[in-house]
Amino acid sequence: MPEGLDRRISRPAGLALWVAVLLIVFAAAGLFFWSRMEPPLPSGQAAPQGAVLPPQAVRGDASVVVMLYYPARGGGLTADSLGVKRQFDAQSQAREALSALFGYQRAGQAAVIRDLRLRAFYLDPAGTAYVDLSPASEQRDVRGSAWEELMAIYAVVNTLTQNFEEIKEVRFLLDGREAQTLAGHIDASVFFSARPDLARQQ
Amino acid sequence: MTACMRMSLPIGVFLAALLFAGGALRVDSQEKGLSVARVRHFSYPTFTRIVFEIETAAPYVLTRSGDGRSLVFAAYEGGLKAASPLPSINDGVVRTLELKQDDSKPYISIGLDEAAGDVKDFVLRSPDRIVLDVARGRAPEAPARPDASPSTVIVLDPGHGGKDAGIVTAQGQEKSRALEMALALRKLIKRKSPQLAVLLTREKDQTLALDERAAMVNAAGSSVFVCLHAAPGKDIRVFILEPDTEPAPRQTPAVQRDFLGFEAASEHQEALWGRQQAAHIAESGRLGRKIARLVTGTDNAEPIQAPLALLKAIDAPAVMVEIGMEQDRHKAMESLAKGIEQYARGIR
Repeated sequence: MPEGLDRRISRPAGLALWVAVLLIVFAAAGLFFWSRMEPPLPSGQAAPQGAVLPPQAVRGDASVVVMLYYPARGGGLTADSLGVKRQFDAQSQAREALSALFGYQRAGQAAVIRDLRLRAFYLDPAGTAYVDLSPASEQRDVRGSAWEELMAIYAVVNTLTQNFEEIKEVRFLLDGREAQTLAGHIDASVFFSARPDLARQQ
Repeated sequence: MTACMRMSLPIGVFLAALLFAGGALRVDSQEKGLSVARVRHFSYPTFTRIVFEIETAAPYVLTRSGDGRSLVFAAYEGGLKAASPLPSINDGVVRTLELKQDDSKPYISIGLDEAAGDVKDFVLRSPDRIVLDVARGRAPEAPARPDASPSTVIVLDPGHGGKDAGIVTAQGQEKSRALEMALALRKLIKRKSPQLAVLLTREKDQTLALDERAAMVNAAGSSVFVCLHAAPGKDIRVFILEPDTEPAPRQTPAVQRDFLGFEAASEHQEALWGRQQAAHIAESGRLGRKIARLVTGTDNAEPIQAPLALLKAIDAPAVMVEIGMEQDRHKAMESLAKGIEQYARGIR
């Protein structure tokens, strides 16, 4: 290529190229930070009772909104919507929802739930979710009345079965083993399915 | 203690003729003795089962030491081999199984705990097994009946007790409150209906497992069972067992189910344990409805259905009543006594 022609093309073209590269870099960075932004805070909006709500995508599929069921002060279960990190499969997504439930301040105030933490979670192909719990503190027993224990169990069961169509029933384990009860009253050796009747009437 | 009692007492000797009948068990004529391929164990509320899976069959001898603290399991003739390590059970009935040698003859020593009671042994086939059932102490004793033999027996169960305090609130511990309520309720029922026998599962601060409570209630021939608990707040809640509760694990591995043959009465009892309430669901509902309406003062109150661990093994109409710590106890007990009496009058 002749020398003069090479200089004529390279000056303006080089400038344009630099501008284009900078624009692409800024656009990519903007997209990246926008997608990493946190989902909206809990709305506190009550859930429609009894309906199966598939987790809803928000903000470029980075998060999903799930309904967290927890014991209400006046009796029964209530639900709040909360954004949780999107996962790639139902088992991981359900584990994420359960972790959110046990970390959710309003649920954590309830007896029995406050004394437990999520140890492990497994979902088998038949749709049975295994929720492995352990006491939150070695110094404190898991305590609660029969009603509080029932509400704690169905907070977990309804959160799983009402958000994930794949989950048909729930089985509880305590420290990796079958347990007679979690807090002395409710038979934890059975398979639990959803109890929409325990949701508080709005 | 006599010299005879100090000696080991043979409690089971299976002869070759018994074992070999039908040819299901193989005997190596060259080398007599027992070959144990695997040992399994199961802990049940009323007994512990040890299962020896036999590879090479032969007659065996089971003896119990004079002090009752160990069993010796050995071949009647020849040696005894164990292909896999023997388990430590430590369930309060059986401690450990150890392979030992005595006068060049090997045997399995089974250490027993104080709670160990009678031992039964029997043979099962396909696959060939020798089964030992070690009872957990004596059968639970029913609470003493004060009357000669009243037709209607009401058993009250104050929840928790001993090491298990239940919930603790500003009003006190649940275990104490439950006992106070049960004692008051018995007094009220006896005052109005002295012909009824009213028994308590505990009359002091003592630890009782749920299965122990159920066994006591069933042994007493209970006609009505009411379990008393306390809860925070003022609410009174009446529970009955959820009708569709399925106590038996649905996904029990086939290899475990294989041991639940029905050759022994103990196995049959074990298989039924936890299903007793199923026969009383309708009556429990009637009892629960009556009590719920009286204690809440609401005409259409219904009992709450829940998979309650204690109620599933109760062989009588059964309810659990949870009374708020801030509730007027005397008033609640009067309503409860009235409901129990009305129900009992209907079944007499």
